Amino acid sequence: MTETIGKTDPPRGRETWEQLLGEATQVQGVSLGRDAWRRLRRNRTAMVAMGFLIVLASCSFLVPLLPLQSPQAQYPEERAFLAPNFETFRLLVVDGDRADEIPLTEALAKRNQKIAKYQKEFSGASDSERIVLHEKIEAEGEGKRKILNQLWATPNGWDRLLISVRLWIFGDWCVPSLCGTDDFGRDLLSRLLWGSRVSLLVGIVATLVSLVIGVIYGATAGYLGGRIDNLMMRIVDILYCIPFIFVVIFIISILDEEHIKRWLLEWGIDKTVIFYFVIGAIYWLTMSRVVRGQVCSLRNEQFIDAARTAGASTGRIIFRHLIPNLLSIVVVYLTLTIPSVMLFEAFLSFLGLGVDPPQVSWGILASEGMRVITPLQNLWWLVVYPGLALGLTLLSLNRLGDSLRDALDPRLKNR
Amino acid sequence: MPQTIRKLFLPTAISLLVVAVLWATSLGTLPSAEFTFNNGTEVKSLDPAQVTGSPEGRIVHALFDGLYRPDPKTLEPQPALALSANPDEILSSDGKTYTFSLRRDAQWSDGTAVTAEDFRWSWQRLLHPETASQYHFVLSAYVVNADKYNAGIVDPGDRVEIELPDRPRDLQLYPRGTMLSGKLLEIQRPPLADLLRELSDDEKAEQKRKWIYTVQVDGQQRKFSQQPPAGQDVERCLHVLLNFNQVGIRAIDPYTLQVELKNQTPYFLYLMQFYVTVPVNRECVEKFGYPDWIRPENIVVNGPFQIEFRRLRDRIRLKKNPLYWNKDAIALNTVDALAVESSTTGLNMYLEGDVDWMPSPPSEVIPQLEGREDYHAMSSLSIYFYRVNVTREPFDNPLVRMALSRAIDRERICRAILRAGQEPAYSLVPPVLTNYVAAEAPAYDLEAARRLLAQAGYPGGRGLRSIEILFNTRSDHRKVAEAIQQDWQRLGVDVRLRNLEWQTHLATTRKMEYDVARAGWIGDYPDPNTFLDLFVTDGVQNETGWGNPDFDRLIDRATREPDAAKRMQILHEAEEIIMGELPVLPIYFYVSINLVKPYVNGFFSNSQDLHPLPSISIDPLQKKKLVK
Amino acid sequence: MIRFLIRRLLWFLLTLWTVFTVSFFLMRAVPGGPFEGERNTETAVKQAEERRYRINQPLYQQYAYHLGMAAGVLSEEGKFRLGFPDLGPSYRIRDYSVNQIIAQGLPVSASLGILALTFGLVVGLVAGIIASLRRQSWADTSVMLLATTGMAVPNFWMAGICIILFVFMLPLFPAAGWGSLSHLVLPAFCLGAPYAAYIARLTRTGMLEVLHQDYIRTAYAKGLPARRVIMRHALKGALLPVVSFLGPAVAGILTGSLVIEKVFHLSGTGAYFVEAALQRDYTLAMGVVLVYTVVLYTMNVIVDICYAVLDPRIKLQ
Repeated sequence: MTETIGKTDPPRGRETWEQLLGEATQVQGVSLGRDAWRRLRRNRTAMVAMGFLIVLASCSFLVPLLPLQSPQAQYPEERAFLAPNFETFRLLVVDGDRADEIPLTEALAKRNQKIAKYQKEFSGASDSERIVLHEKIEAEGEGKRKILNQLWATPNGWDRLLISVRLWIFGDWCVPSLCGTDDFGRDLLSRLLWGSRVSLLVGIVATLVSLVIGVIYGATAGYLGGRIDNLMMRIVDILYCIPFIFVVIFIISILDEEHIKRWLLEWGIDKTVIFYFVIGAIYWLTMSRVVRGQVCSLRNEQFIDAARTAGASTGRIIFRHLIPNLLSIVVVYLTLTIPSVMLFEAFLSFLGLGVDPPQVSWGILASEGMRVITPLQNLWWLVVYPGLALGLTLLSLNRLGDSLRDALDPRLKNR
Repeated sequence: MPQTIRKLFLPTAISLLVVAVLWATSLGTLPSAEFTFNNGTEVKSLDPAQVTGSPEGRIVHALFDGLYRPDPKTLEPQPALALSANPDEILSSDGKTYTFSLRRDAQWSDGTAVTAEDFRWSWQRLLHPETASQYHFVLSAYVVNADKYNAGIVDPGDRVEIELPDRPRDLQLYPRGTMLSGKLLEIQRPPLADLLRELSDDEKAEQKRKWIYTVQVDGQQRKFSQQPPAGQDVERCLHVLLNFNQVGIRAIDPYTLQVELKNQTPYFLYLMQFYVTVPVNRECVEKFGYPDWIRPENIVVNGPFQIEFRRLRDRIRLKKNPLYWNKDAIALNTVDALAVESSTTGLNMYLEGDVDWMPSPPSEVIPQLEGREDYHAMSSLSIYFYRVNVTREPFDNPLVRMALSRAIDRERICRAILRAGQEPAYSLVPPVLTNYVAAEAPAYDLEAARRLLAQAGYPGGRGLRSIEILFNTRSDHRKVAEAIQQDWQRLGVDVRLRNLEWQTHLATTRKMEYDVARAGWIGDYPDPNTFLDLFVTDGVQNETGWGNPDFDRLIDRATREPDAAKRMQILHEAEEIIMGELPVLPIYFYVSINLVKPYVNGFFSNSQDLHPLPSISIDPLQKKKLVK
Repeated sequence: MIRFLIRRLLWFLLTLWTVFTVSFFLMRAVPGGPFEGERNTETAVKQAEERRYRINQPLYQQYAYHLGMAAGVLSEEGKFRLGFPDLGPSYRIRDYSVNQIIAQGLPVSASLGILALTFGLVVGLVAGIIASLRRQSWADTSVMLLATTGMAVPNFWMAGICIILFVFMLPLFPAAGWGSLSHLVLPAFCLGAPYAAYIARLTRTGMLEVLHQDYIRTAYAKGLPARRVIMRHALKGALLPVVSFLGPAVAGILTGSLVIEKVFHLSGTGAYFVEAALQRDYTLAMGVVLVYTVVLYTMNVIVDICYAVLDPRIKLQ
C-alpha cells in the first residue's frame, strides 16, 4: 500500500505521514454521538427547545429556592380568582397561641429566640431541669417544622434546605401572582412550578421504564424471529387487552396496604414513584411493537449479516448493531410517549388513582381549569396557563425529538 | 400474495371506508320532548324493590302511584291511591293500626284494577329475603313481624310457609314454587365444629342453610332443610319463612288495606310516599320475571306516565299514561329524563335550552348563577360529615376529637369555598326539621382548640402522629379536605390527604382502615331519627367504632315514645351525647340547587329535593318569548 | 393465506381465553365489591344479592360458570346449551344484561369512531405528505406545530375550548347529545384530532425515511413524474408505520372514549371501560374487555395482511 503511494506521489517526510495518520484518527474519532451533537447545535429551534427544557427542569428541581408564594396556602375570601397582577405578597402563617396570621420569618425568629433562651438556661441547669429543657427545645424544633408544613406540604430535607436559603435571601417577599389565583386564592404560578415536578417526573420516569422494557423486548423478538418472535408478540397482544384500570387499581391498592406502605417507606420509596413505574410498565407495549417491526426489516440488512459472519454474539448484535440503528424511530416514539404518559397521569389523578393533594400536576391544573370555563364567567388564566405549560413543554420535547432524529440518522453522518 | 389482491386492495379499502361513513351518518332523529330534565345518571334499576337513589326515585314516582304522594311545596302526604290522609279516619285509637281505603277508579296500564292485594303482594316481594331490597326497612322496621319475615327468623310454634324447589324458572323468585304452610315444631341445628371461634356472618349464614326444620303440614310431620344432609329423610326446600299472614299487612277487601305497626310511628305516612312502597303488577312480574318485566315493551304501570323508550346512558322517554286515574291533572304529554353525568355538560345543555330543569350545577359557577330568576336553592335534609376512627390512637381521646372539631372553620368553608349557601353543621340533624331543636357542638375557636389539644397531652401538636384524611375523588370533596388540612395544620397537626376512588373508599371505610374519612347522609324521612340511629353501637352504618350505651338506650326509648314533643326531647338528649363525644365531625348541611327555566310552572323547592313530574307544566307563551 | 388465518384464529381463541382468565382474577383481587354503596347494607341483604349473582360461590366455580356462559355452552341457570356467548347480567345497570348494554352502546361508539377516524386519516395523511415533501418550509413547520399541539393538549381541554368557541361564541353546533349529524361534528373532531396529529407525524417520518431509499432514486431516475413516484412508490412504504399504528388505534376509537362521551353526552361503550371497573361491575367490565379484544385482534390481523400487501418482502406466516 505504502509503496504504491510512494510510486505515484513525490516522496514525503515523516511529518506528512504523521499528519495523514492524525487526520485519519480524527475522522474515525467522530462518534455518532459527537457528530449528532455537532449537527444538533447548528439547529436553532432545537437549541431553543433544549434551553427551555433545561430551564424548566432546573426550575422544577430548585423550585423551593425561588421566591414564589406558597402553592397551598388558602385565601379563599381575600384572594380567590384574582386576575394576573403585580402586587407582591408575603408568606404568612398562624403560630403561637393566637389565631391570626404573622409573617413566616417572624414566627421562625420567635421560635429561634426561644430555642436560644432554653439553650442558654441549659448550661446552668440541673439534670432534671435539663430533661425538661431538652424536651422544650425539641418541641420548638418540631414547631418550626410544622410551620413550614403550613406553606409547603411536608418538604423533605433537601427542600427544607432550599427553603431556608430562600428565606435567608428573600425573606417573606414573594413574586406577585403573575398568572392569577385559583378559587382558593392560591397562586397559579407557584402551583404550576410545583406541579411541574410531578408532571416532568412522571413523563421522564414512566417513559424511560417503557423505553427500556419496550426496546429490549421488541429487539429480542424481532431479531430472534420465528416461533419465539411469534410467541412474544402474542403475549403483547394479550397484554394489550388487559384492562389497564384494573391493573392500576390493583397495584395501587396493594401498595396502600398499611404494612406494605410502611415497608416501602423504610426503603425510601414513595407511592408516587412506584406509580410512575406502573404507568411505564403499561406503556411499553407500543414501543416494543414498533421496535420489533423496525428490527425485522433491519435484520436482513447487510451490516447485520456482516457482523454475524464476523462471529458476533446475538447479544452483541442486538445491543451494538441493532439498537443504535433504532435510535431515530425510538426517539420519535419517545416524543409521542411522553405526552401520552403525562396526560394519562392527569386522567388517573382525575379518577382518584394519582397523586394526593396538596400535590398538584399540570394535568390536575388543566382539568381544574376546565371546570371553571363556562359561558358564565371568564377566568381565562386558569385555562390558558396550565394548557400553555403542557403545550410548550411537549412542543419543545417534540422539536428536540425531531431534530435529534435527524441528527442521529446514520445516513446523514458527517454532513 | 397474488397481484390481483394487491391491485384490489386500495379500491376495497376506500370503498369500505365510504360505506362505513355512510352507515355512521345515517342516524335516526328523535323529536324533542315537551319537558326535558337532567336526571344526573343512568338509573340502576326501575324496579321499586331495587331502587336506592333519587334519580331512580324520580322515574319510579312518575311510573307508579303509591298510597300517598308528596305535596310539591310542603312535602305533606297527599292522597294518591289512598282516599284520605286524615289520621282521624285512617288511624286506630292506639295509634298503631292504619286502615287505608283505596280509590276504586285506579287501574293498571293493562286495564285491570289496582287492589289492596296488589299492595300486599308487592310488599311481600319487597320484604322477601331473596329480593334483597336495601330499603326493606321502610316496612320491616315498623310493621308487626315484618322484620322476622325479612330476616328469615322462625321460632318453634310459629306458623311458617315453606317453598319447595319446583319453581318454573330457577333464578326467578316469581312465579313461586309450591308453597306449603304449617306449624314449626322444632329446629335442629347441626353441632358447631368449633365453638371457641366466633363465626363470621357469612359462616353463620352458611350454617343456617343446614338447619333442619320439623313442620306440621296438613296433620303430618315433615322435615325440611335448605341443604339437607344426605341419606336422611329430609326434604329440600328453598325457604322456611314466617307465614306472611302473621305479618301486619292485610288486604281486608279489594279496596281496604290494613297495616299494623309495632310502635306508634308519627312519620309513617311519610314513609308511605317513599318510592319503594309503590305496588307493582303481579301478573307482569310473574310473566316476564326480573329484570325483563321492566323493559319498556313489557312493563305494566299504574302511575301518571309510561316508558316510551329507553336508551342506556342517554335518556328515558316518558309519555302520559292514558289510563291513569287522574290523567286530566297531568299537563305534560312527553318527558325526557337525560342521564348527563358531567355537570358542566349539563349546564351547557341547560344554557343552550336543550334542558328545562337541571339539578346540581357545578359549584364553581354558583356565584354567577346566584340571584338569577331560574336559580333555586334550598337547604336539604342531608349532611356532609367526617367519620373519626375512635378505635385508633389518638382519636380514642375525646379531647383530641373536640380539638379537631373546634379547629375547623366551617363558616369559611361554606362561605368561601362551597359558596352555594350551605349551612355550617355543628349538629347531626339538619335545621330544616323545624319541630326539633338540634344539640350543637361548640363552634370554631382555634385558641380553644389549642388548649384542648394541650389538655389531651399534645401541646402544639407535639407528640401527635400525622393523621390522614380519606376522601373519595371529587373536586368538591378535595376542596373541603384541603381547607380542613390547612385548619388542622394551623393547630400544629400534620395532615396528609388520601383520595381513593369510590369503591375503594367504601371498602376502606368499612374495614376501619382509616383515621378520618369523608361521608354523607341523606335523610330518608323528615325525622331526626334518620340521622341519629346511624350511630347506635355496632350499627350497620356506624363505621366509627364508637358506642355509648346511654345513647343506645335513648334511641330505643324514642322509638317507643308516643308523645311527639317528649320524643323530640329524648332525641335531643341523644344528640347531645354524640355531639359531646364527636365520633363524627359534622361539616355542613347540603343545599339542593336547581336551575329551572322560568317557563316551567309547578316547580317548588323543598327540603327533600322532590319535584314530582305530575305537577309540572310548561307555559308555551313564555317559552316562545324566551326562545326568541 | 388460509393457513395463516387458521393459525391466527387458534391464537385468537387462546388470547380471548387468557384475557378472560387474567381479567377475571384481576378484577376480583381488587378491593371493594359490586354491591356496596354509601348506605351500608346488612349482611343478609348482601348475601341474598351475592347468591343471586353467584358471587358467594368459590372463585373457581364462578370462573367455570362465567367462562361457560361466555363460551356459549352454559345457560344462566348453569345448564348445558349451545348458542351465542352470554356475558351475564350487569351488576350495576340491573335492568339489562351485558349483551344488551353492549348491543346498545357499540353502534353509537362505532359510528362516532368511524367519522373521527376518517377525519383523522384524511387530514393526517395529507398534512404528513405535504410536510415531508416541503421539508423545513413554513408549511412543514406549521403543520408539525399544529400536529404537536394536537397531541400535547388533553382532549378534555380541547373539547372544552371547542364548546366555548363553536357552541357559545359562534353558535354553530349543539352543546351535547345525540340525534342529528350536527351533534356529531364537534365530538368527531375532538376525538379525531389527536389521531390526525399522530398520523401526520408518522406519515412525515415514514416519508422522509422512504425518500432516501434507493428504489425511489431509481424511480426518479427512470423519469417517472414526481406525483407518480410519491403516490405509487414512496407512499406505500411510508404507510407501514401508519398502518401499524392504526391497528390498536382503530380498536380504541371504535370502542369509544370516556372523556368525549362524557363531555358530549353520548351513550357509547367508552365510558364502561372505566366506570364498570370503578363500580366493580365485573360482568360488564369483562364484556367490554372481551369486545375490545375481539376488535383489536381483528384489526391486528388486518394490519398484518395490509403489511403483506404493502410490502412485498413480508410474507404471511
